[in-house]
Amino acid sequence: MRTFLIGRSNTFDLGQIALAAVVFAMAFLLSCDRAKSLTETAATRNVTDDLGRTVNVPLKIDRAVSLAPSLTEMIFAVGAGDTLVGVTSYCNYPEQAKSVQKIGDTMTPNIERIIALKPQVVFVSTSSQLEAFTKTLDEQGIAVFVSDAKSLDDVYRSFDQFGDLFGTKKQASNIISGLKRRAEAVRTRVDGKANPPKVFVQISNDPLFTIGKNSFLTEILEQAGGTSATKDVATAYPKLSKETALALNPDVIILSDSDDNKEPNEVFKNSPAVKNGRIYRINADIISRPGPRLVDAIEQIATDLYP
Amino acid sequence: MLSAALLFVLVLALSVGSESISIFELSDQQRAILFDIRMPRVFLGACVGACLAVAGASLQALLRNPLAEPYLLGVSNGAALGTMLAFVFLGSSGVAKPLMAFAGAGLATFAVYQMARGRAGMNVERLVLAGVIVTTFLSSIIVLLTSVLDAARLRGFTFWLLGDLSQATYPGFYMTLVAAVLGTLFLSSQARALNLMMVGERDALDFGVEIGRVRLMVFGFSSLLVGTAVAASGSVGYVGLIVPHLVRLSTGSDNRLVVPLSALAGAIFVVLADTVARTAIAPRELPVGAITALIGAPLFIYLLRRN
Repeated sequence: MRTFLIGRSNTFDLGQIALAAVVFAMAFLLSCDRAKSLTETAATRNVTDDLGRTVNVPLKIDRAVSLAPSLTEMIFAVGAGDTLVGVTSYCNYPEQAKSVQKIGDTMTPNIERIIALKPQVVFVSTSSQLEAFTKTLDEQGIAVFVSDAKSLDDVYRSFDQFGDLFGTKKQASNIISGLKRRAEAVRTRVDGKANPPKVFVQISNDPLFTIGKNSFLTEILEQAGGTSATKDVATAYPKLSKETALALNPDVIILSDSDDNKEPNEVFKNSPAVKNGRIYRINADIISRPGPRLVDAIEQIATDLYP
Repeated sequence: MLSAALLFVLVLALSVGSESISIFELSDQQRAILFDIRMPRVFLGACVGACLAVAGASLQALLRNPLAEPYLLGVSNGAALGTMLAFVFLGSSGVAKPLMAFAGAGLATFAVYQMARGRAGMNVERLVLAGVIVTTFLSSIIVLLTSVLDAARLRGFTFWLLGDLSQATYPGFYMTLVAAVLGTLFLSSQARALNLMMVGERDALDFGVEIGRVRLMVFGFSSLLVGTAVAASGSVGYVGLIVPHLVRLSTGSDNRLVVPLSALAGAIFVVLADTVARTAIAPRELPVGAITALIGAPLFIYLLRRN
């Protein structure tokens, strides 16, 4: 073994090593050059994202990637959908989003494909894996902007932000005032109703997942004139004890519509909700994305609660 | 003594939960919580504990190895994969899941046995390594299945894989009870043969033990036990390791005592662990497998070092 290794190493001569060094040096210089040319293309400015990070973005964003369905919906809504060069495989709304190049899903985006698309900014909704992810994109001269709406007010603020970033302020403020008007209309309709119905939101049947106090849906239910039966349970989407669920006796059950969540859990069979047939299904995409369709959710829930 | 302890633990487990209940005056709702939710879960937990502990005790005797454990050998993963395949291809009908789980457990047991058996017989390291290989191989198939197949339909599985008793039903309990009783009776009847084989296969042969038949039967029945337990509650780990070990500490290594007593002690252990899982962060829940592994993993390391 040892003699074999020595024998092998002797077969490398200086010429080959020099050639290899030249090739590496050229590759290195080329890559530096490319990174430089990417960052120097356009005038930029500094903006602050939802984590308070300072992000350097072009004055005019031409190429963007969205790593969350809610952000894709918002970017299309402010009229900047044509700047999107990459979205996640879950981005199915509006219709045009389906034809944008897919870059994997929110939690496991394909970073090579993102880089190949040469975006100027990548929009993300969560801070998970952000550090390594941002570093890699930084080296390529790609900015990472975190937009993490957790309430209806946050959504309005995000619209403002996107309008500013994409230079479509007018359209953004039109959307905000439209959404506010619709939410306000629901508000006046449901305001002053005595005893808001106790609503259980069933995210999945078995195991029984629901919404907790950190979910934006708790606020959405209030806006629609109801109250979440699990508004005091910790975390955003807890797995709930069936005993507790049975004791909740909700007046209304809302099912996040999916294949494994067509019926209310067995434990609710004696609840007022099941006895009075007050079971409603709502598109899982609408109630899982803090985006422009959140007001659709408010309207639909309000109609279900107060027909 | 152990039977009395099991009775006590069952009563204790039935009287605590995320909702408090006084056993003496029950409202209709409390009756539903006790009989429809808590009781099948506690009883199923007892049967699952008995199944896994008896399977562990007999495998340890047969393989002459205190580290043989369904979860560590990949037998539980085999059963889990079988259950998932049954769910995907055969729907969630009553007997398909346990049958496929049984088949999966059997195949995994056979694979580990073949890999661990070297020319020089079987040693501890070889067996543990074979177990690790089979476990990780099967895990990767499970991960592959969950990523390729429709996410919504398999979402429940990620929780179930860790060992979760919250989906307990009476039919599931009855099925596991039958398997636990049959398996424990049969494997106890082989205890004498197992005792002789622990001394040495040649000695056992001299005493007229049909080694091949005993081996096949023990593999078959322990696969049946693990298969039914996993189909009902996912992979609750380390029960087959901790329980027989504790039983041997107090009774010695006579399998005529160890096998049946493991059934009782296993039932006690899982019911207690699940009581913690149900109440620790109520009204949210932990998977019971997390609790058993929390206790089991350190014990495994201790046993490995002492070897």
